[in-house]
Amino acid sequence: MNVQDTPEEARFRVEVRSWLQATAPEFCKDLPADRSGIEYAARGQDWQRKKAAAGFAAICLPQTLGGRDASPMMEVIFAEEEARYPLPVGPLTSIGVGLAVPTILAHGTPEQIERFVKPTLLGELLWCQLFSEPAAGSDLAGLRARATRDGDDWIISGQKVWNSWAHVAHWGLLVARSDASVPKHKGLSYFLLDMRTPGVEVRPIRQISGESEFNEVFLNDVRIPDCCRIGQVGEGWKVTMTTLMNERVSVGGESGTLPDVRSVLGLLQTLEPELQAVYRMQLARLAAQEQGLKYFRFRLLTQISRGEMLSAVAGMGKLVYANLLQDLSSLALDIAGTAGLYPETASPAMAAELKKFHDGYFWGAALRIAGGADEILRNQIAERALGLPGDIRVDKEVAFSKLPSGR
Amino acid sequence: MDFDFSDEQKMLRDEAHRFLGDVSSFASIRRHLETGSAFDRGLWARLGEMGWLGVAVAEEQGGLGFGPLELCVLNEELGRCLAPVPFFSTVCIAAEILKGCTGAAAARLLRRIVGGQAVVTLASAERSDWNFDIATRFAGGKVSGSKTLVADLPGADALIVTALDADKEPLLLLVDALANGVMRTALQGLDALRPQAHLVLDQVDADVLARGDEARQLLARVHEQAAIFAAFEQIGGAQGALDMIAAYGQQRYAFGRPIAGNQAVKHKLADMLVKIELARSNAYYGAWSLEAGPAERPVAAAAARLSAIEAFEFAAEENLHLHGGIGYTWEADCQFYYRRSRLLAVSLGNAAQWSQKLLAGYSRGI
Repeated sequence: MNVQDTPEEARFRVEVRSWLQATAPEFCKDLPADRSGIEYAARGQDWQRKKAAAGFAAICLPQTLGGRDASPMMEVIFAEEEARYPLPVGPLTSIGVGLAVPTILAHGTPEQIERFVKPTLLGELLWCQLFSEPAAGSDLAGLRARATRDGDDWIISGQKVWNSWAHVAHWGLLVARSDASVPKHKGLSYFLLDMRTPGVEVRPIRQISGESEFNEVFLNDVRIPDCCRIGQVGEGWKVTMTTLMNERVSVGGESGTLPDVRSVLGLLQTLEPELQAVYRMQLARLAAQEQGLKYFRFRLLTQISRGEMLSAVAGMGKLVYANLLQDLSSLALDIAGTAGLYPETASPAMAAELKKFHDGYFWGAALRIAGGADEILRNQIAERALGLPGDIRVDKEVAFSKLPSGR
Repeated sequence: MDFDFSDEQKMLRDEAHRFLGDVSSFASIRRHLETGSAFDRGLWARLGEMGWLGVAVAEEQGGLGFGPLELCVLNEELGRCLAPVPFFSTVCIAAEILKGCTGAAAARLLRRIVGGQAVVTLASAERSDWNFDIATRFAGGKVSGSKTLVADLPGADALIVTALDADKEPLLLLVDALANGVMRTALQGLDALRPQAHLVLDQVDADVLARGDEARQLLARVHEQAAIFAAFEQIGGAQGALDMIAAYGQQRYAFGRPIAGNQAVKHKLADMLVKIELARSNAYYGAWSLEAGPAERPVAAAAARLSAIEAFEFAAEENLHLHGGIGYTWEADCQFYYRRSRLLAVSLGNAAQWSQKLLAGYSRGI
């Protein structure tokens, strides 16, 4: 039982640290303030290029593809060290490197691998994911965007939603329905979409927080050449599952910009002692969850470090964190009372603290839906980790076109 | 990163799981309850033969020479099967106190524990537990006072008693449970599998095991350690309750299918597993702190206890509830986890006390 790196891991960490120390502070100096704009994305590409040049772009991939053939633990170590700096990383580049690349490697033709993998690792291509639709989120396989064959092309029409970075991405990972006469999982096909194609229209979504981190993408008779199809016609679900399975277990450390127990405890100490006492047990319960999540992650890292497959219960990390974030934020805003709802009335330091709780209150709600809603994750834990029976499914053997749609 | 038990420790857990599965069952627990005896002496003798009673005791004192991590894995398995033996009182508390004492009396008693010849329990609670805010007095080699809620007292051969001397200096005393002046009154409580009793000491001969700050620190350290062992026991119990309802939920049909296929049921089972895994993660950190992190131990113990209390209580309550009416009957076994989860939720300090300790640790920056 120990929490230290193995000697090999420690050596790699030293190497990564010294490279980051020499590179990252300089790189972070003049990053654009707008962290969703096109300039910021360009800096993200620059950083990816630097990583690629130093051999850190694809730590787990074979050397022939530009990787370094190392273990997943080394990738975790790199990410941990990288997270110490405010670098332009995250979904901006990881949708390409972490989702597109493994999907194309697993299902693409040699030509497709040649065309897309290296440019993505080198930071030349940014990607977005075009999966969810207004009527297909948890039930992703119920998506309706239509793919119709026309000679050597496909014509796509439909609407996608919750597409991070679609406004700057060069390419999109798209799944669409190529056959509505068969049951829903069997009529899907998977495409790579050049986002500059005529008919692709990207619009920002205004979220409840007032920010716009996501987009919706309208596909109006968009032409995709058949050479950009990944996998067989009708086997898009299989390819989609590869992409989803690569949505990595979140292994990042604590974020300084979102609330944690320590920040709520700081706020609590501004109350009178009798009122503090009322909140303390509630906060301690959340503190035990925060600690538990930290050490649950240590257990996952141990599995990764040993090269073991993660168990089915690994997905609970997001379930716990999203609810913890929402609970901590609403507890903090409760402690702060009416004044907490109006940060501008507080001192600058307190206003920044309150803003953090506002962000957590909204982002907690988003996280409980994104990347597998609470209820979907509970189903997965129950069915995969505990082996309990699946739900009653009325849609499995029925042609998609015959399914009731509700509107 | 190697945040896990060693292969040898996992082998011990598997061995314990198999062994206890063979010798202990709800049927054997019920038979034991009907005998009215203080604990299952046959099983206790078997544990002695396996070396478990001295697993964390040095080889030169007759033990197996392992450490606290082995006690963690054994507690998990004993917690799962609810075996009616005084393992926690004798091995996880009394022996750990004796290991910290110098002197021939402590060494002799430790050998008797390891050999299965002595059941020993700590008698400390008066107004509250685990401190020296007590009225029990020691003078001229004799101790007098009264203690309440002494676990496993009915079957104990020797007692470790907290007391103050004439100068109000704290003492840990060793008392023969059969000595003149020792009066034991069994108490009827929520969980008959772990009997508690009231103790009166009237001018009883006693030996001093430890005194002063040494006694105070020893008691505090063993308390923290015991909290971490208890968390493992609770996790074992919670896992037992989850396994019970997962099996029943697949056998029991309603509305034409197994009840565990319904989301209202299976999501509760998923939540049980999530709570258990969080508690297990905190308990692992607690286990790590037993050997490597004395500074982190108070916070680790508090987090382990809080999450283990929540996990076991939720699993035990929902296990009974999801069984439906049969779960409320005497013949169903749900009651055993239901009772034990409540007992362990308040043993060694309740959630409110551990909450204070956890937040105090956060305030100190640990």
